[in-house]
Amino acid sequence: MDIKPIFLSLKQNKFMTILMIVQIAFTMGVLSSSVLVATDTLREWGMDSGIPHEDIIRISPEFFDENQDIGQALVKDIERVKQMANVINVAPSNAVPFTAENMINVYLTAEEDAQEYKTVVFHSDENIFDVLQLSLIDGRMLTASDVIRGEEGTTPENASQVMISQAMATALFGEQAAVGQTIWLAKSSDPVQVVGTYSNFMTGERLNGRGKSYQSIIRPQVKWSQARQPNYLIRVEQGKATAMLEDIIDVFYLERGRYINSSELLKRTQKRMYDGRGSRALTMLVISVILLIITGLGMTGLTAFQVTQKSKQIGTRRALGAKKSDIMRYFLTENSIITIIGLLIGVLVTLTITFELSEQASQNFMNLSVLLLTGLVMWLVNILAVWFPAKRAANIDPAIVTRSS
Amino acid sequence: MFNYNLQLALKSLKDRPALTFLTILTIAIGLGLYTTIKTMSYQGGQVPLAHKSKNIFLVQMDNREITAEEVTHQSRLVDTTYKDTLNLLAMELPGVEQTLNWYTYGILNVEDENINPVRATASVTSSNFFTMFEPPFLYGNGWDKATENNAEGVIVISKLMNDKLFGGRNSVGENVRIGTNVLQIIGVLDVWHLSRKFYDRGFSSGRPDNFFIPYTYAIANELPRIAGFDCWQADADIARSFRNENTQRLLNSECAWVTFWAEIPDEQIENYQQQLNNYIEGQKALGRFPREILTYVTNLDDQFSYINGRNDFMNVFSIISTLFFAVCLLNAVGIMLAKFMRRTKEVSLRRALGAKKKTIIAQHIIEVVIIGFLGGLLGIFVAYLGLQGMMNIQIYSSDYTRRLEDLQPLFALDFTMIAKAFITGISCTLIASIYPIWRLCNTPPASQLKSQ
Repeated sequence: MDIKPIFLSLKQNKFMTILMIVQIAFTMGVLSSSVLVATDTLREWGMDSGIPHEDIIRISPEFFDENQDIGQALVKDIERVKQMANVINVAPSNAVPFTAENMINVYLTAEEDAQEYKTVVFHSDENIFDVLQLSLIDGRMLTASDVIRGEEGTTPENASQVMISQAMATALFGEQAAVGQTIWLAKSSDPVQVVGTYSNFMTGERLNGRGKSYQSIIRPQVKWSQARQPNYLIRVEQGKATAMLEDIIDVFYLERGRYINSSELLKRTQKRMYDGRGSRALTMLVISVILLIITGLGMTGLTAFQVTQKSKQIGTRRALGAKKSDIMRYFLTENSIITIIGLLIGVLVTLTITFELSEQASQNFMNLSVLLLTGLVMWLVNILAVWFPAKRAANIDPAIVTRSS
Repeated sequence: MFNYNLQLALKSLKDRPALTFLTILTIAIGLGLYTTIKTMSYQGGQVPLAHKSKNIFLVQMDNREITAEEVTHQSRLVDTTYKDTLNLLAMELPGVEQTLNWYTYGILNVEDENINPVRATASVTSSNFFTMFEPPFLYGNGWDKATENNAEGVIVISKLMNDKLFGGRNSVGENVRIGTNVLQIIGVLDVWHLSRKFYDRGFSSGRPDNFFIPYTYAIANELPRIAGFDCWQADADIARSFRNENTQRLLNSECAWVTFWAEIPDEQIENYQQQLNNYIEGQKALGRFPREILTYVTNLDDQFSYINGRNDFMNVFSIISTLFFAVCLLNAVGIMLAKFMRRTKEVSLRRALGAKKKTIIAQHIIEVVIIGFLGGLLGIFVAYLGLQGMMNIQIYSSDYTRRLEDLQPLFALDFTMIAKAFITGISCTLIASIYPIWRLCNTPPASQLKSQ
């Protein structure tokens, strides 16, 4: 099919052509930047949490009555919760997956200029492995006899043996075995020995942002003070968590003089972790989709206009033996040329916008395949938009020419 | 003539209804999004206490060390020290009211064991707060100066707290506990809508405070203080500890952390500024205020115009929605062209039979106004949906910590916005129709009639 007449026709309708190109470029720019931001966020949503987060409940109580004995409450709480039907296991913990933002540096040597490794340390007891369903990769599991318990003021000693996550082991020791190695939990102090490695689980947004979501350390100690009261992680039978939440809160309120600060499924904690970026990306996405619809509507309208304008030419072509499909193809090709020019300019707009966004968030949003896919979708939408008026054009009666209007 | 034109316009609207509908839809969607964003920035930017916002002032003094960094804008300057707060409160000027604020939180609970405690954010303030900022009372009222001076345990709670702890009944006179401290309820506020909570300089939206207590009581009972403590070098290391401990040291320190407000009648403004300078001169003699005198007395209007201008999120969306509306209008131009140009034959016939350009234009303008009107109507509906959507996104993204009740006024379409949307819709449609109508009217008479 000859493309030349199409260009001639486009040249004749400069106003229309430029209008459409600008519009497509603009839509492409907004649509693909928001799709890029959204897919980046959604990709992180798809990251494996490593734990059955739909079946784990976190409870964070806070005593406001300083006369209450936190240690005693801890024992009673665990006893009460374990007696409940459908509860599998419970563990106290200083941190909660998805919101463990207490990032620290650990070191491999005691030297002053030792390299820093980012991580989060969970203080918990031997039950945390069962609660979070962490499996043993290497070495041995921590047991009840490793756990140090007590009030912070009266229990100065700390656990000297820890387990680390698989990702942590790789970050620290690479190919070497982690078991038996020593790491320093603070600069030149607090050395601990690694006795085992466990399967990865997600820590929180601060490590996510650094691409180190799974670096964690579990230290077998449960300590408390008025200022630092442990959270509880409770795993229940599959699918029972939502229904049990209220009952579990009631059980915790049996202990007077305190307030249940947070009580939720870890599923919700995870949702909150992503919310900040997610909702903005989704708003942009909705706006872009509406914009895409508008562009499609505009295409339909403009093509309908062209068809009306050109009905005589179309009739002539048909009378001269052009098939219906030829007429269809003419409009589809014309539209595709406009779309492709628009898309090319749109890619430049996208590059500018994503560059700005990436600078701001110090995170690379660019993803070539997403960009290409967005372009393809826009092209398809435009084809669809042109299809109906083009079909009407194809149905123009060749006899229209004889009317010589 | 008008009737005839109207009839023609209506007939033309019904001709190719799909294109008419497309035009209306395009305008409605563009206008809807535009109005959504405009309403959000209009409602979010409204200055509270409009009837006296120009007389409500934030008072700041530069008490910092000689080595501190230069400050060129009010928003960068520190708050007030506790010492200065007390001294300024003692300053008596006719017609001038002053108050202070800092932020605290507490776990509110009652004797009744069936009612679970609630964690609540709160404001520590003075008796003038209620007369200056005029929160609406449901029951009771604020405390008086005498109660404040005795550091009595009185408290004003929000409607939400009253509903949760007392089932919504008139709880004035009853006791409530913050942690283990017992206080007597003296007033219950009704829902208090502020576009932004200005009095703590946080300017947050949709997160009202849940209780209010006298500053004297908060100090005497060492309630936690959530504040940024801008301290001199000597105290910088322990600044964080001031949140929960070292109360006496904080009160005597040069740490600035209290937000200080004054309501000053017009005729006293100059005098107030003068008194402030005199006060600082006096303090300089005692070895304080080592820097050159720098004070900011900024009214609510100025603070809000600064804050609104810096709302990046809103500004970006404002640009996007305007561009979006422009694209929609360009589209409408195209669709109207398609619609009108079909009529060249008819128009040239009418022109040939003696119809004036004016008549043709009038007929099409009526048609366009109807399209604009319908587009505006549908656009307002789209805007309503858009606002509901945006509100739910905000509730979702705050993880349901903000409540519908508190956010609703920020997303409300009021009469002003509806009228504006209508006018914008109709006038923009008219502008968009200029080119199509011009093309149509310039069809030479009888040009389309050859040999028909």
